[in-house]
Amino acid sequence: MNYPYCKATNPTEYSVVEGLGETAKDQKTLAKDIPCQAACPAKTDVPGYIEQIARGDLDAAYRINQECNVFPGVLGRICTRPCEDACRHHWTNTNGPVQICHLKRSSADHLSRPPTALPGWFPKTGKRIAVIGGGPAGLTAARELIRYGHAVTLFERRTTLGGMMLDGIPRFRLPLPTIKAEIALIVSSGIDVRTGECIDAARLTELEADYDAVVVATGTTLPRPLELDRPTASPPLPAGSIIPGLDFMKAYNDGQVTGLKGDVVVIGGGFTAVDCARSCARAAKRLLGDGGEVSIMYRRTEHHMAAELEELEEIRLENIQVRTLVTPLGLVTENGALSGVRFIRNKVQETASTGKPAILPIEGSEFVQPCHTLIVAIGQEQDRSLLPAGLTAGEGQKTNRPKIFFAGEFLTGSSDVIHAVAQGKAVASEIDRVLMGVERKKNHVTIEQMRHMGDGETGRQRAHDLQSPAPMPLTDIPGRARDNAEVEQGFTKEGIPVAATRCYLCHYKYSIDNDLCIHCDWCIEVAPRACIKKVSRLCTDADGFIQDYVETDVSAKATFIHIDSDACIRCGKCLRVCPVGAITMRKASLTPCLANPS
Amino acid sequence: MQWKSNFERQSEEEEIKAHGLTLDFDEIARRGAMSKEEKLIGKWYGVYASRHPGQHMARVVIPGGVISTTQARNIAGVAERHGQGRLNLTTRQAIQFHWLKVGALPDLFRELAEDGNTTFHGCGDVVRAVTACPMAESCPYKRLNVRPWAIRTQKALNDSRDLDNLPRKFKITFSGCPAACAQPYMNCVGHIAVQRGSECGFKVVIGGGMGWEAYVAQELFSFVPEARIIQVTRAIALLYRDHGDRFNRQKSRLKFVVARLGIEACRQKILAYLQQEGADTAGLSWTPFEESGRPFPDRPLALDSTVGTDGRGIVRVMIHQGELDHRPFRALAELADIYGDQKLYTTNRQNIEIHGLEPAKIPEVEHAVHTLGFETDGFYTLRDMVACVGTTYCPKAVATTRDLHALLQAVVRKPEFAAIQKQAIINITGCPNSCSPYRIADLGFRGMRIREETGSVEGFECTLGGDQQKHGQKLGEFKTPDIPEVVHHVLTTFIHLRTPAETLTRTVNRVGIAPFQKAVFS
Ligand code: SF4
Ligand code: SF4
Ligand code: SF4
Repeated sequence: MNYPYCKATNPTEYSVVEGLGETAKDQKTLAKDIPCQAACPAKTDVPGYIEQIARGDLDAAYRINQECNVFPGVLGRICTRPCEDACRHHWTNTNGPVQICHLKRSSADHLSRPPTALPGWFPKTGKRIAVIGGGPAGLTAARELIRYGHAVTLFERRTTLGGMMLDGIPRFRLPLPTIKAEIALIVSSGIDVRTGECIDAARLTELEADYDAVVVATGTTLPRPLELDRPTASPPLPAGSIIPGLDFMKAYNDGQVTGLKGDVVVIGGGFTAVDCARSCARAAKRLLGDGGEVSIMYRRTEHHMAAELEELEEIRLENIQVRTLVTPLGLVTENGALSGVRFIRNKVQETASTGKPAILPIEGSEFVQPCHTLIVAIGQEQDRSLLPAGLTAGEGQKTNRPKIFFAGEFLTGSSDVIHAVAQGKAVASEIDRVLMGVERKKNHVTIEQMRHMGDGETGRQRAHDLQSPAPMPLTDIPGRARDNAEVEQGFTKEGIPVAATRCYLCHYKYSIDNDLCIHCDWCIEVAPRACIKKVSRLCTDADGFIQDYVETDVSAKATFIHIDSDACIRCGKCLRVCPVGAITMRKASLTPCLANPS
Repeated sequence: MQWKSNFERQSEEEEIKAHGLTLDFDEIARRGAMSKEEKLIGKWYGVYASRHPGQHMARVVIPGGVISTTQARNIAGVAERHGQGRLNLTTRQAIQFHWLKVGALPDLFRELAEDGNTTFHGCGDVVRAVTACPMAESCPYKRLNVRPWAIRTQKALNDSRDLDNLPRKFKITFSGCPAACAQPYMNCVGHIAVQRGSECGFKVVIGGGMGWEAYVAQELFSFVPEARIIQVTRAIALLYRDHGDRFNRQKSRLKFVVARLGIEACRQKILAYLQQEGADTAGLSWTPFEESGRPFPDRPLALDSTVGTDGRGIVRVMIHQGELDHRPFRALAELADIYGDQKLYTTNRQNIEIHGLEPAKIPEVEHAVHTLGFETDGFYTLRDMVACVGTTYCPKAVATTRDLHALLQAVVRKPEFAAIQKQAIINITGCPNSCSPYRIADLGFRGMRIREETGSVEGFECTLGGDQQKHGQKLGEFKTPDIPEVVHHVLTTFIHLRTPAETLTRTVNRVGIAPFQKAVFS
């Protein structure tokens, strides 16, 4: 008898059964299993907070968001949602992604107790850090540096903190109280705030001398120039005829745009262009179809616009025209005033190769679009005038000077709030590592056996996946016209659990211990979908990460019974039916691990 | 699509059950197939899907393990007409047909009913057929005849519509004496006839069970007067109905309730149910006492044809692998008509007995049985192996139990093991559900697949030294072709180590499993 038998090694997806997974394999498995979290620049624990919402604890959900992405109320309204594009609900035909973003907002909308600042991780270090720029990146960096135990001074050129959140996004998408509340929460963790202080190269050099580190996070404030022909020898146009998008947004948010007259053209296809157009429609009282036109003119197709289909539909309802495949060429004036913009039409040239389709002008297709105010929202660039001569970017967020770091849009160029937050977190961690000489806080994968959920019970059923998503109640058009009211009103109390229970709760990991499994296939029989496979071979990469498998339907060829977490809906039926207790339910989460915490 | 926004703690089965427990089989026959929901509720009618696509199993309930020869002929006829002529005996004394088309079911029910047979409550979350000692009337060690109690309990509980929807199945057995041949310690409820002084009654044990998590039943009452046993059983069923887990079906049997609440709390609740039902609890006792009945051996039934205390002869018929054709089954009924008490008795080792013979006629009947191709000796010995149907029919099975049965017959019949024939029994089950209770046998086998470098092969986990009150210990996991060698080593080791008259289980309990492991693995 050839005992003990030769067997294929028992495969594992995490390096430990429970405890800390510190290997590359753990990170890879986590990223594969929780795609929304992997897609989030700030690595938000999406299933973690959605589960809290589904179980009714919105405060806890807010806390998770506060920890991960700093601005739950803000991001819950205006995030660009890379997570939703990655959500597993997208992979099969189950009514679109989980409404991750709106759920985040719900947790902020329905707090039962006001949130408090997050506790620090380490005792005071005595290090002092200057952060320049009070936008999302600077605020995040400041909050995180405080938690590392450093003293932080935050410099802001304007009189109020908020940066792009305050200036770049219209209030009907992001109300002021929401921004203020979340900024106050950050400031309350002990940041020394200096508003109204403009930092120039000389002052930056001083700060470099006075502080242990300086973060430059001043964002992108200079409008990208658009070269347009003008009628030769025409006098300069009256002020306010051509406005950069961001300046317009700032003025609108400050209440300085009123009584906009005539036709407005907004050039651009990004979020700012859409925001400007929607703001114009309000400023010009065009929501209800008064005279004059507000148009967005964009070089490429709707597909390339930053706005989602739903938003495009909304803006059409707001009487905004969207014209795509048009490139501006020049200005047309009448009596010294702007009267139109000359455009040429483009066509899409589909290329056989994988490259983007080319956008080519159509000869002779020029036309003049009437325009009395032109808003150019084709993006912004960094204002580098505050950098002392010779200072240049280095590797990552470092520069060629050891004490100076770049973060946020100042480093990356035009982006969005969630990327700015990620930048803020990263720069704080980088600075701490440089100042303290070691990486004091690492994110490892914590793997927890869900023993208290011994029945593998999440409460989920297939029916939860197949529900229609919750609708987002919107303010009607007359309402929007009246008082610049927020358009999206937030989920109703009835809608919140609908949205939340759709989430597969991908942080739960059901897996089979193949040393216990007897291949009875009972789990396969009860499974709500093809989530459990007979597998003849598992394909691993150099780190031992299971990338793929070779499925079989012949028992004799089945080496393993394998749960495909990509298909698992976390119902726990398999765990309950397994007659030998081979299936475990674990929770995997990205957790900060501290060396010598306070 | 509809909203379902709360996380719920209810199994899908409970949801289906909540929609009603009745089926129109004529309608199903017309349609030619059963829906998922109907398949579940079909179990209440004793119908189960087979491993073979399009085939169904139906289980005839045999309360107390006895049927009249008329009923037997009726069953044979149904098998012949609808079930390819095949009959299977179960370890709970029932008879199953395995080759039924869905279109045959309504006729089958009607035909069975003509002679008082039924499959109703053969499966499903109900009180299942109540089993009893095969020699209930005439065993020399019996304290009282438990058969009538088994039959009456079954009738009373099956007629209670408030017990139609239990969390899961509920198994009751009656044993005529503490030798426990009817396996009370592995049933939900085990009634063991006991003698206290001159008075006979029942000791009641609850919460035993096989399956993945096996439990030995615990003593609920040390003494219950005979006449109160039905009410006590009903109260236990009520406890189960109200406290069994309806979310996790794998953990809902009474054994889990007892393990969770503790026997003391269960007793209090049961007394409360009795009170609530207006039942008399006088005479119920849970203080231990010295049982005063006749001493009994380890395996009272390990005998062949015999004469019972009623002076009547018994011939046992060993049914190979528990499966037989309708013709010999009819022939056995005929023998019972001519020589016996016009009844056939089924046993929990998948055999049949003919009772009520004139002792002088025993050889004649034995001869007739031999002519039919059955053995009449070797009961409760190594040869008398019990294998569940395994992958032959059962959709849940992982291994081909009958192949192992055949392989092992060749081993245990070797002359070198002649001396220990009565010293060990073998149970083989195809999956952890343990329809053949492998953990209580001297040698137990539970089907599994064993992983190889690539792919997997059939095998069994082997346990040694089990009995009802102390389950077997794991020897190892073996591929099927290796098992004859394993058994050979185990039995040879047993011959070396045993003291005279010791069973394998007693030897394992005395010397431990290590010597056996050493013999097998070195
Ligand atoms: S189902 Fe939930 S956890 Fe999974 S990817 Fe979508 S939002 Fe994330
Ligand atoms: S928990 Fe198990 S049965 Fe449920 S979806 Fe996941 S793998 Fe399938
Ligand atoms: S139910 Fe358990 S033993 Fe059976 S195949 Fe699934 S994991 Fe393996």
